[in-house]
Amino acid sequence: MSLLDVNGLVKEFGGLRAIDELSVSVERGELVGVMGPNGAGKSTFFNCVSGVITPDGGRVTFDGDDVTGDPPEELARAGMVRTFQNTRELETMTVRDNVRLAGPDQPGERTLPALARTDSMQTHEREVRERADHLIEAFELDHLADEYSSNLSGGQRKLLELARVLMLDPDLLLLDEPFAGVNPTLTKEIAERIRGLNDEGMTVVVIEHELETLTELVDRLVVLQQGSLLVEGEPEAVLSDERVIDAYLGE
Amino acid sequence: MGLAQNIVFGLVTGSYIAIAAIGFTLIYGIVNMINFAYGEYVTVGALVGVLAAGALPLPLPVAALVAMVGGGIASLVLARAFFTPINHTGPVPMLLTSIGLGLALRNAIRLTAGQGSRYFDTETTTFRFDGLPDLSVGSVDLLGGVFVTSEHLIVIGSAVAVFVILHALLTRTDVGIAMRAMGDDEDLARVRGIDTQMIRDSVWVLAGVLAGLAGVLIGIQTSVSSTTGFSHILQILSAAILGGAGSPYGAIAGSYVIGLVVALSVAFLPTGMTGLSTAMAFLILIVVLLVKPSGIAGQEVREA
Amino acid sequence: MSLADRLPAGIGDRLPEDDGDRALLLGGFAVALALVLAATPVAVALPGELFVFFEVGTMFVIYGILVLGLDLQYGHTGLVNFGHVVFFAVGGYTVAMLSAQNPFVGIGLGYPWLVALVAGVLVAALLGAIVGATSLRLRDDFLAVATLATAEIFHSVFVNFREVFGGNTGILGVPTPLADLAGDTDTTMLATLLFIGGVTAFTFAVVTRLTDSPYGRVLRAIRADELVTRSVGKSTFTYKMQSFVYGAALAGLAGGLFALYNGTVAPGYFTIQVTVTIWIGMLLGGASNHRAVLAGLAVIMGLRLLSRFALDVAPVSADAFASIRLIVVGMILVAVIRYRPAGIWGDPKELGVDS
Repeated sequence: MSLLDVNGLVKEFGGLRAIDELSVSVERGELVGVMGPNGAGKSTFFNCVSGVITPDGGRVTFDGDDVTGDPPEELARAGMVRTFQNTRELETMTVRDNVRLAGPDQPGERTLPALARTDSMQTHEREVRERADHLIEAFELDHLADEYSSNLSGGQRKLLELARVLMLDPDLLLLDEPFAGVNPTLTKEIAERIRGLNDEGMTVVVIEHELETLTELVDRLVVLQQGSLLVEGEPEAVLSDERVIDAYLGE
Repeated sequence: MGLAQNIVFGLVTGSYIAIAAIGFTLIYGIVNMINFAYGEYVTVGALVGVLAAGALPLPLPVAALVAMVGGGIASLVLARAFFTPINHTGPVPMLLTSIGLGLALRNAIRLTAGQGSRYFDTETTTFRFDGLPDLSVGSVDLLGGVFVTSEHLIVIGSAVAVFVILHALLTRTDVGIAMRAMGDDEDLARVRGIDTQMIRDSVWVLAGVLAGLAGVLIGIQTSVSSTTGFSHILQILSAAILGGAGSPYGAIAGSYVIGLVVALSVAFLPTGMTGLSTAMAFLILIVVLLVKPSGIAGQEVREA
Repeated sequence: MSLADRLPAGIGDRLPEDDGDRALLLGGFAVALALVLAATPVAVALPGELFVFFEVGTMFVIYGILVLGLDLQYGHTGLVNFGHVVFFAVGGYTVAMLSAQNPFVGIGLGYPWLVALVAGVLVAALLGAIVGATSLRLRDDFLAVATLATAEIFHSVFVNFREVFGGNTGILGVPTPLADLAGDTDTTMLATLLFIGGVTAFTFAVVTRLTDSPYGRVLRAIRADELVTRSVGKSTFTYKMQSFVYGAALAGLAGGLFALYNGTVAPGYFTIQVTVTIWIGMLLGGASNHRAVLAGLAVIMGLRLLSRFALDVAPVSADAFASIRLIVVGMILVAVIRYRPAGIWGDPKELGVDS
């Protein structure tokens, strides 16, 4: 059974079909790239799958459950977590708090344990803090830990966003253009981290506009055009496909 | 008093609310702020008008023109001093600023113009239509005799004139077309070479002119005091939101709905509770925000 | 940054004494002292010139509960509630109508005041839940308009349903338990200030605990970016509702205490002016910082006190003077937003504003 199964997805904006009968599935442990020219519907596809917008038709199945139209918070708790194309930081919070926030199942996020400062809440909070500090260190953001995230550069924001979603230890990670606006060195580093996460068993789907980065990274490529599936398969095969070349040349 | 008479009252109220609501909604659409001080612009217009008509004295149409010019100038000066400098801060700080400014203006007016009421000295001709038969349902008379005064006709006539001129302005002139373009998409308008600050200033002036006229009409219909505008601001705001914030045509429709509801609730509410009639306007506002936040015609005001 | 963050990680099992705990201690002390003063034959005599300080001071601590609740909603969660006075009013009216013996006009049921106070908090919370459930999905500025309109509707209802709410006269004959206990005016004044001040300190302790905890972290995240907060698995609407309802309940508590101190409630005590005052206090001090919002409120209330003295020497009528004071108050709000958007003691980075 696939971890993620998208069947006949449809999304319209003011009469225009942004996603048109799209069906894609992702197996557990896979590392899949989603590409396509601008306006192909990549981000809309993510937004529909992750519950940010409600699709007009079709079914999204995650880990065997129909999750079509479920809100993002429920999907996140179920193990499907995403990042955003234009990094969205909690700019009025420190890097540390950005990461800590994502810690799951914290009893201290309910009123009564927070007021009573229960032992379980404090124990849990210590674990959250250790884990957050560990991730911040792993992403080499420790020298910025107490800075407000509004002070971070574009690349640092991408790293912070990754650290934040990893707090949730997701089964399925949806990354929306994790390399956009990032310098080549950092691009390589982020790609290696994604590879590493996948090696540890995490299923990852990456949206990318540029071809080169993706082809080296992923197991399988899915190419969208005008909201529909154009081609999918092994990266090399996909890249030499006439239709893909046409789609990109025609841009 | 019959229902028909209350409909006349509702149309009159709707007319002056509409003139003000157009100005209010234009500010919302172009400057992207809810201007809570707008009621004070109406008061300024009413005061300028009543002083021009009474103290100088000028004939009413000239006094109204003076009030409109005064309202336009006041609006532009206040915008330049208080709102333009914080344009970038977003809707909430601008709303809060307008609340503070409104409080200060209202009391400054009270301090200088006093607490008493002033009246426009107009000659009223009343036209009666007593031919209509009574049609009683319970305690409510569905028809009954109707009268219309010359003041009623002035208010309704002015409103119709404003709608026609405004429509021509928005569809036929460069400034008006630019205003609509900016209301749709400010960035696009800027790229297309529209001087957005100039358009914003024009909107402020236009809104002030409309507030001035609305003030005079409210003054003719009732009286002028330091709270003339403030006591109408929530109705103006309700009308604008009901019509779809940012849409002048929607604001006109919203205003007549509000005007009629206020007038009819006076007719249907038991005596002693007619004070609730203005609360009805807010009740409509809340219901609209809940059921169809985009209003009769307009944009989404709910979070994604 | 919360206090807990300034501590080295992994210290002790219990977080050491902080602002909140100190406030708890202070509140307990103040309440105990108030009760001792009131219940024992000990009487104090205050110089007449100080009366005005006690009067304004008591209003300060009552409004202090309001501003702490509002700051939970706006400063921490980002909810623009511009009808806060309605919850204050509903708390006050509920307590008054349930407990009043001889209300003159309107309803007075004569129940024990403690029952009435609990009911006042619950009714305000319930209204908060209704307003929240219907309006919290609106965009910020429209939430402000919806809450403001709600407050105006209630104000109009209080004035117009004379048989129920007593019209402009309001509800008279509300019990004043502290005054009954203390006997003389001077002792009552001091005991009241201490008692309600103690409750304000408790409120401070409670909201500090809440906002210093992971709970507060979620609230601040919602203010920063609701979608991101949802995407990491937090049910943000539930938090917004809770924050709104807690603020409303605190306002209800403040209203109830006001009724039991004042002995009467009337529409004139619950005007939009109250909302404006606490908003200015919050913004002037610096939203999302509990101490700062109380300090900001103190500045505004201090201005009120000052104006009472100035009135005696100013060559203008009381009425003109009231206008001048409101002009100043309005311009303070304008100036704070323009020149110090984070307030005097607020952190511009934490509030995401340019300074």
